[in-house]
Amino acid sequence: MSAPGLTRTVLRLHRTALIVWTVFVLGSVGYLVWLTEVTAGSVRETLDACPDHGILCGIDAWHAYSGAMSWTSTFMYYSYWAVAAWAGGAVIGRELESGTARLAWTQGVTPRRWLTAKLALPAAALVVGGAVFVPVYRWAWSAHRDLMGDSLAFNDVFADHGPLVVAYGLCALAVGALTGLLLGRPLPALALSVAVTTVLNRTLEHHRPTPLPPTAFWPTHLTETALVLATAALATTATYWQLRRVTP
Amino acid sequence: MSSTSTAPAVALEASGLGKRYGRQGAALEDCSFRLPAGRISALVGPNGAGKSTLLAMAAGLLRPTSGTLTVLDGAPGEHRDRVAHLAQNKPLYPQLTIAETLSMGAELNPARWDAACAARIVEQGGLDPKSRIRSLSGGQRTRVALALALGKRPELMLLDEPMADLDPLARHELMGTLMADAAEHGTTVLMSSHIVAELADACDHLLLLGGGRVRLGGGIDDLLTAHTVVTGRGTPEDLTRRGHTVIESRTAGRGLTALVRRDGPVDEGWATEEPSLEELVLAHLRAPAAPALLTPSTTPAPQAVTA
Repeated sequence: MSAPGLTRTVLRLHRTALIVWTVFVLGSVGYLVWLTEVTAGSVRETLDACPDHGILCGIDAWHAYSGAMSWTSTFMYYSYWAVAAWAGGAVIGRELESGTARLAWTQGVTPRRWLTAKLALPAAALVVGGAVFVPVYRWAWSAHRDLMGDSLAFNDVFADHGPLVVAYGLCALAVGALTGLLLGRPLPALALSVAVTTVLNRTLEHHRPTPLPPTAFWPTHLTETALVLATAALATTATYWQLRRVTP
Repeated sequence: MSSTSTAPAVALEASGLGKRYGRQGAALEDCSFRLPAGRISALVGPNGAGKSTLLAMAAGLLRPTSGTLTVLDGAPGEHRDRVAHLAQNKPLYPQLTIAETLSMGAELNPARWDAACAARIVEQGGLDPKSRIRSLSGGQRTRVALALALGKRPELMLLDEPMADLDPLARHELMGTLMADAAEHGTTVLMSSHIVAELADACDHLLLLGGGRVRLGGGIDDLLTAHTVVTGRGTPEDLTRRGHTVIESRTAGRGLTALVRRDGPVDEGWATEEPSLEELVLAHLRAPAAPALLTPSTTPAPQAVTA
């Protein structure tokens, strides 16, 4: 059996994507720590120096902190777009179009095991990335509440506070693999998987309660996580089923 | 493994094999044949005859829509480690280097990989193992693809237009490497090509596809012996009346030249000559209605036979 070999091969094929994801996660986490430990302090100093704690005087400094915090959380929330595009285009679609999937299947690897490796390794990277990001984000977000204008009800803040942000990544991966396998061409697969995951995300966002009492956060968050993961599981099942339909 | 049978081992056996592609119709239909192990077989046929489809199904890449296909005594895809397949467009991962591509071969075929053999084929082409696949020419990619296919030491090689984009020198040299390797290891090879003359040198077996079926199948010597080019004064009917099957005939001046499938000796009035492989193949390609001929070793075993 060549499970370690297959793992090494898939890692080598998607080395660039893995490096980009690692840099993105570590960069985001590092930036959050910097904003919380360094930037927030200097913002406070600037605000304290303002006569009568005037708001307008310190607004630029305040923006430097709260704007950067918001952007970091938004980027992580919408990273599922990048995952959907990559999964639809590069993971399966491109391999089917160029024939390299068939090259792999004629080595000692069954299409099923190939698909498993192609899904499991990115999934592991997404889970590890989320496990690193979410705790740091929760800590950074709660550190200087008085300097932030957002709330838990904000779409990105809501998702980044728990496993939901990882669930969206996993769902994007599964939907991308399915569209790639169904369409067999990277660009249409990429477009379709981004569209499908975006529609799912927008639909579920509309069902989040407004206003969101703090006690409702975890039930709402975990319910949405379960729904997104169920979609991911459905898409994965469909992908295996379709692969089995076309290859022995 | 066949235990008591005296019949030669069979590398590939198809029975009533069919493959339909949605609305495009059937690529193969009721295709039956058997390829004995150890043969170097030429797979020929017009464009769209189903050659690539047959090779892909044998490699476990496509599921047949009907019939059965047995590959090395197993279902297609059951013995992926023992079967090599070289697709027509020679797909390779463009982002990898040659060395990384060969490492992939080693990682995905750990039990069988022959690194020295694969490296030798790459070296013979003067290729730098550190070059990226995307920087290679078509012919150089073919060489790397072939190194990957031979490196796994396959028992059955399925080659789809393997030499199509090689220059004549590289083609000659790589074909030589391939044939020497197959002879040394007793590899069965099924190779499609449009260049019949090239196949004549390399192959000892022929499968001619047409209309979704095998129209002509068997050892090349046997097939050539079964056919004769006759020239003389007479009509095709004269030949048919004596039991010969006229595959193709054309008038030349007041005479007639015909390629016939003989039934017994040809009458004295005709000049006879053994056809070349190219003549045999072309005549059958031009006469799609000619009856099929499979020699006994290439005829599939009847189903459910009791000894």
